[in-house]
Amino acid sequence: MLKIIIPTIMLMPLTWLSKKNMIWINTTTYSLLISLISLSLLNQPSNNSLNFSLMFFSDPLSAPLLVLTTWLLPLMLMASQHHLSKEPLIRKKLYITMLTMLQTFLIMTFTATELISFYILFEATLVPTLIIITRWGNQTERLNAGLYFLFYTLMGSLPLLVALISIQNLTGSLNFLLIQYWNQALPDSWSNIFLWLACMMAFMVKMPLYGLHLWLPKAHVEAPIAGSMVLAAILLKLGGYGMLRITTMLNPQTSFMAYPFLMLSLWGMIMTSSICLRQTDLKSLIAYSSVSHMALVIVAVLIQTPWSYMGATALMIAHGLTSSMLFCLANSNYERTHSRTMILARGLQTLLPLMAAWWLLASLTNLALPPSINLIGELFVVMSSFSWSNITIILMGANITITALYSLYMLITTQRGKYTHHINNIKPSFTRENALMALHMTPLLLLSLNPKIILGFTY
Amino acid sequence: MNPLIFTTILMTVLLGTMIVMMSSHWLMIWIGFEMNLLAIIPILMKKYNPRTMEASTKYFLTQATASMLLMMAIIINLMHSGQWTITKVFNPTASIIMTSALAMKLGLTPFHFWVPEVTQGISLTSGLILLTWQKLAPMSILYQISPSINLNILLTMAVLSILVGGWGGLNQTQLRKIMAYSSIAHMGWMTAVLVYNPTLTMLNMLIYIMMTLTMFMLFIHSSSTTTLSLSHTWNKTPLITTLILITLLSMGGLPPLSGFMPKWMIIQELTKNSSIILPTLMAIMALLNLYFYMRLTYSTSLTMFPSTNNMKMKWQFETKRITLLPPLIVMSSLLLPLTPMLSILD
Repeated sequence: MLKIIIPTIMLMPLTWLSKKNMIWINTTTYSLLISLISLSLLNQPSNNSLNFSLMFFSDPLSAPLLVLTTWLLPLMLMASQHHLSKEPLIRKKLYITMLTMLQTFLIMTFTATELISFYILFEATLVPTLIIITRWGNQTERLNAGLYFLFYTLMGSLPLLVALISIQNLTGSLNFLLIQYWNQALPDSWSNIFLWLACMMAFMVKMPLYGLHLWLPKAHVEAPIAGSMVLAAILLKLGGYGMLRITTMLNPQTSFMAYPFLMLSLWGMIMTSSICLRQTDLKSLIAYSSVSHMALVIVAVLIQTPWSYMGATALMIAHGLTSSMLFCLANSNYERTHSRTMILARGLQTLLPLMAAWWLLASLTNLALPPSINLIGELFVVMSSFSWSNITIILMGANITITALYSLYMLITTQRGKYTHHINNIKPSFTRENALMALHMTPLLLLSLNPKIILGFTY
Repeated sequence: MNPLIFTTILMTVLLGTMIVMMSSHWLMIWIGFEMNLLAIIPILMKKYNPRTMEASTKYFLTQATASMLLMMAIIINLMHSGQWTITKVFNPTASIIMTSALAMKLGLTPFHFWVPEVTQGISLTSGLILLTWQKLAPMSILYQISPSINLNILLTMAVLSILVGGWGGLNQTQLRKIMAYSSIAHMGWMTAVLVYNPTLTMLNMLIYIMMTLTMFMLFIHSSSTTTLSLSHTWNKTPLITTLILITLLSMGGLPPLSGFMPKWMIIQELTKNSSIILPTLMAIMALLNLYFYMRLTYSTSLTMFPSTNNMKMKWQFETKRITLLPPLIVMSSLLLPLTPMLSILD
């Protein structure tokens, strides 16, 4: 695993020592090369995990997330070139350093064996993200957004630290490789109920669960493009990944403790999808759509069946790529009109036809069109929740319909119709932007040919 | 002040603390405390104005009261044990009185009221000595009598200190008062784990001293005593603003910086001793501390605060030298990966 971590750390000296006209080229190229190295991890033998050392391992759940993380760094760098072009050189290098630091912590989080090390790196991802949001965001609301982001996550995760340490005292080791073989049922008591809550709340806030999601629209909207991309694509999945890892230790309380969260998620996904229909702010729409998709992942993880785990994993990867692509598309609008209001930039299909093709593909994958992996994820979740309880099919079906409604609403508002007269002089699409969209879309489409690599460890 | 006299007085302060830390006779310890107190008064009053006089008087009164309480506890201990050697305290009353006396010296709740007022009234360098060096002597005595301290009183004081330190700092814009409330909260963390594992108290003290030293050095460098004046540093030396950001986040206890290490170790030690609600409450109350550190970073490093044009010319003047800044910065932010080295302390 050091063969991925050390090159990522070395991207930082690369940035600081590059010349002015080479920083973007150097960093994007080398981060693409690092992502190619991580692809080799997808070759997972048998049912066991690939253990690199006592500290790092990768199994069929963390490998796709790792590949997604390393794939996203060059994309983030490509997307940030325009809004940083007017900044002084040192600030550009600082920005890239923040992104690289975040990348290092994320790679180490997804491959950590020891759960306390996972916790420390999980918290460590907060610091660069906070700096990116508050320093390079565009509106005054970004300060509030940073505070909400930091404090919601910290309030949820400090009980997790105490819970992990008390589990370590009880069982003697928190090394995940050991725990998966030595699984004992948690005795039924009030303190174990609180232990369950303490373990899960951190990831619920991160996902986010419907009642605790207030930080997400703020943070996603106020962040600059790279911040939005990494928040939507990876940081939310940290919550899902953590939940998938820790629920193996928390039986049998999950069978009754999960009910309130299941209800919140099932209701929440409908609520947040419906709010999307009434949004005027494009980034806010995409942010709420993230909450809705993640609510599906929460339902899947809490039901704890093999199919639902497959659906959760597939949905996480698919949503990561789709959401990141939607944010890039919204950013291409923002860079031209400097406004996030949807109706200010209508009828773009006439002006930017190739971008309209990317908008169409992104919207179609967002509404889970077959045969994309979004559909595979959602279908598995719907089927497993139907087997858990027949009534959920009504809510799931309603959610799929409303998702289709708002995705098409977004598509039609921005692309179709007559263009507004004030945008007839926008710059045409850059090759960089088209390359960005293609690099998002191609993995998404190719994965539909071989989805078993993203189906996780219950395949 | 005449440099020779200043050196003598400073040496007396140092000698006083050394006597406290190295004596085995209770009377010598008390003498050391008094030496320390008397010698630090001129240092607190380096600038001769009514504000400093008021602060020094308050400091003298509280510390003298604490010394008298300490003397009474020593005498009661003498009465019950018949000897002056510092081992453990032989009588619960003496133990309670001694704990209160030392808490008064440290600035733990409910004896914390002097800390913000005294720190605000004196200069930045004197405030630095007050909040770092002066904590060493009482803490060393607490370390030595730790087996015989009443757990209930100590834990109550610790938790209340963390609460007061977090809550009280929320309304402050003066940097010295912010550092004072931060000191109250950190003292709370240190005393919470004293009965369970005193080594962690020393670890927390070490890291707290490094972080506070760094913060004060950065404040002294930009000669700023209010949030507003600190927010002008991006005009003069933008690098200092980054260092302020890192050190403040470390003081708030965010991983992966070294300020997280004492908090983590303390939570681990408390959880091992089967108290679960206490460390959870302590950790959540430390978030209050983080809030006002974040507010400070917002005005200083993460935004380019509006400033008048003559602020932008300050870079042309010579900057003050900061003693030992690079090692301090490294130690106050990058020590977390060295946590396994704590096993050498056994």
